[in-house]
Amino acid sequence: MIVFCGAAAARGAAAQTAGAEAGRFDVSGGVSWIGQTSIGASDAGETTPSNGSLRIFSTSSDLGAAPAVDLRVGVRLARAIGVEAEAAYGRPELRVAVSGDIENAAPTTAVEKIQEYMIGGAVVWRVPGVQRPRLAPFVAVGGGYLRQLHDRALLAQTGRYYTLGGGVAYLLASRSGWLKATGVRVDARAVVRRDGVAFAPGSHAAPSLGASLFLRF
Amino acid sequence: MRRRASVALLLALVVAQANPALAYLKFGTTVGGRQVTLKWSQMPVRYFVTNVSVPGVSADDFQAAVGRAFATWHAVETASISYQLGGATNAAPGRDDGLSTLGFVSRPDLDRVLASTSFLVDAATGALVESDIFFNAAFPWSVASGGEANRFDLESIALHEIGHFSGLGHSALGETELRAGGGRTVLAAEAVMFPIAFAPGSTAGRRLKADDIAGISDLYPAGGAQALGSISGRVTKNGAGIFGAHVVAFDPATGSMVANFTLNANGQFSIGGLSPGPRIVRVEPLDDADLDGFFDPSRQVDLDFRVAFPDRVVIVPRGGDSGEIAIAVVAK
Repeated sequence: MIVFCGAAAARGAAAQTAGAEAGRFDVSGGVSWIGQTSIGASDAGETTPSNGSLRIFSTSSDLGAAPAVDLRVGVRLARAIGVEAEAAYGRPELRVAVSGDIENAAPTTAVEKIQEYMIGGAVVWRVPGVQRPRLAPFVAVGGGYLRQLHDRALLAQTGRYYTLGGGVAYLLASRSGWLKATGVRVDARAVVRRDGVAFAPGSHAAPSLGASLFLRF
Repeated sequence: MRRRASVALLLALVVAQANPALAYLKFGTTVGGRQVTLKWSQMPVRYFVTNVSVPGVSADDFQAAVGRAFATWHAVETASISYQLGGATNAAPGRDDGLSTLGFVSRPDLDRVLASTSFLVDAATGALVESDIFFNAAFPWSVASGGEANRFDLESIALHEIGHFSGLGHSALGETELRAGGGRTVLAAEAVMFPIAFAPGSTAGRRLKADDIAGISDLYPAGGAQALGSISGRVTKNGAGIFGAHVVAFDPATGSMVANFTLNANGQFSIGGLSPGPRIVRVEPLDDADLDGFFDPSRQVDLDFRVAFPDRVVIVPRGGDSGEIAIAVVAK
């Protein structure tokens, strides 16, 4: 058993030299899932004679969970530090639940599917001490520009987004030549949106899981 | 040739009872068989005030309170209308003298009318020549900054009447309840142009609401109004359009509401002067004021349907229209 582990480590070291350590540029493409996030709640109210408010109905809004496709281009700046540019596109639903109508209208949820673009970047830190020959855990923090298009692109609303999370990159194959390696990468992140279609000010966080294939040059 | 518009007394702000009024967001008049929007064509609009005082309100108080109300409308950034005090006059409002005059007149016979706006229209062109506002001196009035018990707030009522003076009709954004002795009590309103006044002592009507701002911006668009958009659509029941449905556009981001009615037999409506963004639309029957407070009695207003919310978020584009929104309602 000891011998087997030692052999595996030796093979891993060779692979790392050929793949994980060689090559400075990564290009990856994949899919992600961004979870639901609340984007505000508000009442439709009318002013009373004493300057109070009479509620006509209430709303509670969220941006639904949805898949997205994403592309990344990364460059390694140092042994453990890299930066990457990223672009993602998804079509989450903007949902506004209406309830508590003063004239007892049935509760309903108004829905609109929006188009969402995220264009930004991240700093990636390959966590030292836990690197394995084929497995490279990392932590990433990033952010960028958020653009959300409503129905038939009638209106664009923009904002910012921030991400914080981590994941692992797993080498499937490594080789010499211009293509140094191929692999898969999985991410778990918190995606924080600001502004855009959000009805309430502030930050609106959602979990995100992603998987992608990468090519390393 | 001039004629005083026959709708003169239809524009009254009333006490606890809806009097007849036009339900359109904008007033119109018919000239030579065509509909002309009633609006001022030259700015600033000059107005005069009478030097009549009533208990609790001196002539100077009156001029100041009316001036504040004009300034409130003038301050709407997305509207281009402006006003200018021409001075004081001894002429009572209502005289066809070419001067737009505001002042107190005692009309105890109009025991539910706090104030009223009338127009003088050029019958040949439809141009607005003069508009007068009378405040009924038979009621107790106040200009106290915080209001005064049992007295109507002059600035609030003036704000409403100046909306008419500028060409706006009534809004139905309000909730009322019937009183045992007749008439209605206002529970709440979200438009200065709601036709029934708040109770005496209230100063809640001194601030314009989103519905008022949308209306004046639609009527007198300023530079910033180019970015405003609209929602249009059709309300149907059993496949047929309905007339007089009250359609409200709610902005979840600001909590504001702007409304209008379906105004033809096809059930079509349009709500203009809206800032861009998503809206939730609510359709309701007109049941918070007397029907003839909004529509000509000859019109058949459909009240037999349930309040409904379309199951889609409606988008107001920047400087454009949402495209027709189809809303189906069901009978009660």
